[in-house]
Amino acid sequence: MGMDRWFLIAATLLAAVGGAWGMISVHQGKRSHWTVIWMIGVFLCQLGFLAVRGQMRAACPLMDRGEILSFLAWSLTLFYLLVGPAYRISLLGVFTAPVVVLFQAVALIPGTLVVNPPKQAGGNAWHETHSAMSVLAYGALALAAVAGVMFLVLDRQLKEHHLKSGLFRNLPPVRELLISLERLLWLGGILLTIGIMAGFLMPRTEAAWGHLIAAIAVWAGYALLLGVKQVRGLTGRRLSLSAVVLFVLSLVVFAFV
Amino acid sequence: MDLLCLGLNHRTAPVDVRERFAVSSTKLGAAANELIALAEASEGVVISTCNRTEFYLAAENARDSFEKIETRLAEKIQVDSSVAAHFYRKEKNEAAKHLCRVVSGLDSMMLGETEIFGQVKQAYQSALESGATGIVLNKVFQRAFGVGKKVRSETSIQEGSTSVGNVAVDLAEKIFGHLKNSEVMILGAGEMSRITAQSLVSRGARSIFVANRSFDRAQELATEMGGSAVRFDDWQSVLSRVDVVISSTGAPHAIVHRADVEKARRARKYRPLFFIDIAVPRDIDPAVGEIEEVYLYDIDTLEQLAEEARTRRQLQIEQCERIIEMELDKLNLPGT
Repeated sequence: MGMDRWFLIAATLLAAVGGAWGMISVHQGKRSHWTVIWMIGVFLCQLGFLAVRGQMRAACPLMDRGEILSFLAWSLTLFYLLVGPAYRISLLGVFTAPVVVLFQAVALIPGTLVVNPPKQAGGNAWHETHSAMSVLAYGALALAAVAGVMFLVLDRQLKEHHLKSGLFRNLPPVRELLISLERLLWLGGILLTIGIMAGFLMPRTEAAWGHLIAAIAVWAGYALLLGVKQVRGLTGRRLSLSAVVLFVLSLVVFAFV
Repeated sequence: MDLLCLGLNHRTAPVDVRERFAVSSTKLGAAANELIALAEASEGVVISTCNRTEFYLAAENARDSFEKIETRLAEKIQVDSSVAAHFYRKEKNEAAKHLCRVVSGLDSMMLGETEIFGQVKQAYQSALESGATGIVLNKVFQRAFGVGKKVRSETSIQEGSTSVGNVAVDLAEKIFGHLKNSEVMILGAGEMSRITAQSLVSRGARSIFVANRSFDRAQELATEMGGSAVRFDDWQSVLSRVDVVISSTGAPHAIVHRADVEKARRARKYRPLFFIDIAVPRDIDPAVGEIEEVYLYDIDTLEQLAEEARTRRQLQIEQCERIIEMELDKLNLPGT
């Protein structure tokens, strides 16, 4: 087994342990201070994986589904590390870890990740920008969906007056969650816009049109959501639900297109 | 050298007795030196809060010192000797254990409250700076602070809010985080609204609007809180900008209806809105709580949450006592 897989296995195990540790802490009503440390470990292993795959490919490692999922998990971890501590929403790590585990576990299924991938000849800068920016955008949008789930959990507990659980005590305030969620949506939206613009500039095959149209549809969905939020305003519940539904829908769309 | 504690608190003495023995926080150091002179002891610390006054001493003879303080204090404060019935006397290990219980909030009126820790620390610091403490009390107090911290960190004795006002403030912080960007409206200038609003202001709430049937009373309360008075008929117009509404009018029927809040939603851009209804009969129609971004808590829910926190704290007492016993056994303190 190659070094790349070992790095990915290590990242997956660290995320699994970090997530489980965090959940146990939260269940006991304690702050999961160690989640950030575990996630830094996950991030370093993911970097190792991407570096090895990048060397093998001699290009940005976004050529097969396994690499795309791993890159997505990496960008999710990256945004968590950037956003979590900044907005005092470190519990985001506890919610992020299972998503990272899921993406990477799927990437580790035999056949998803190409073994000994060939070097890419004649790479195109716009193509790589398109791939990298799009996946980075999905990292931010995935994290927005995670923040959305956290909001929905907290909202339900507050509405139904169920305030005794350790999870309730550890969840960040409603307003901070909504601010983080909106900023992540903007960040994801901007990165996605750059990715799509690069998509127009890269050389395309006929088959790539379907992919590009799907990307534009997803972009339009997020643009509409942000536009409505900005102009008219949206309840936290609708914003969160939309962020979750749009993210899941976009994953489903790209799985088939 | 023996460690002694002579004191009275909310359980042993009514307020008219406690206030006779109260010492202001600026005079605690001088009082400690005076105590040493009265009791002919070597060291002394005076703790004085609204619920207790306690004298800690290191002296050669416990019984002798107790008699001297009681007699001379009664003379000094000019109260008759019957006041002695309100005092409790603790010696050696019992005195150390009592101090640990006090520092841990186990002896407080509101079980587990945290303020007492700072008050005892301030009393000790004043005595230390006045040169009223020595080897015995320094060690006993420093260890008691350590035990107090351990009790608070290893148990849930200080978790949850035990009063309606604090539950409401904690919920507001759970919804809005820092309250410095939050605006509050009070409907009805009653005592409960005032207390709850004051708690919100003390935690940083940016501005307060007071609406009351009597505009004069609204202005009075607004001035007291550093806020603005609103005519009662105009409260709907303020709803679009506030984050928290505390309602406690004497109205016999609901005054905030779903339609009132629905009208303000668009202008509020559907931001979260927290309603605290502490009136009986309720001021806020329960249907208001069905609006997506509204969190509505009435007096019964708040009281129930406070009661649950009090019960949780009660269940922690045994564990706290065990920690204190174990720590004192390990420490082998002087004078005990």
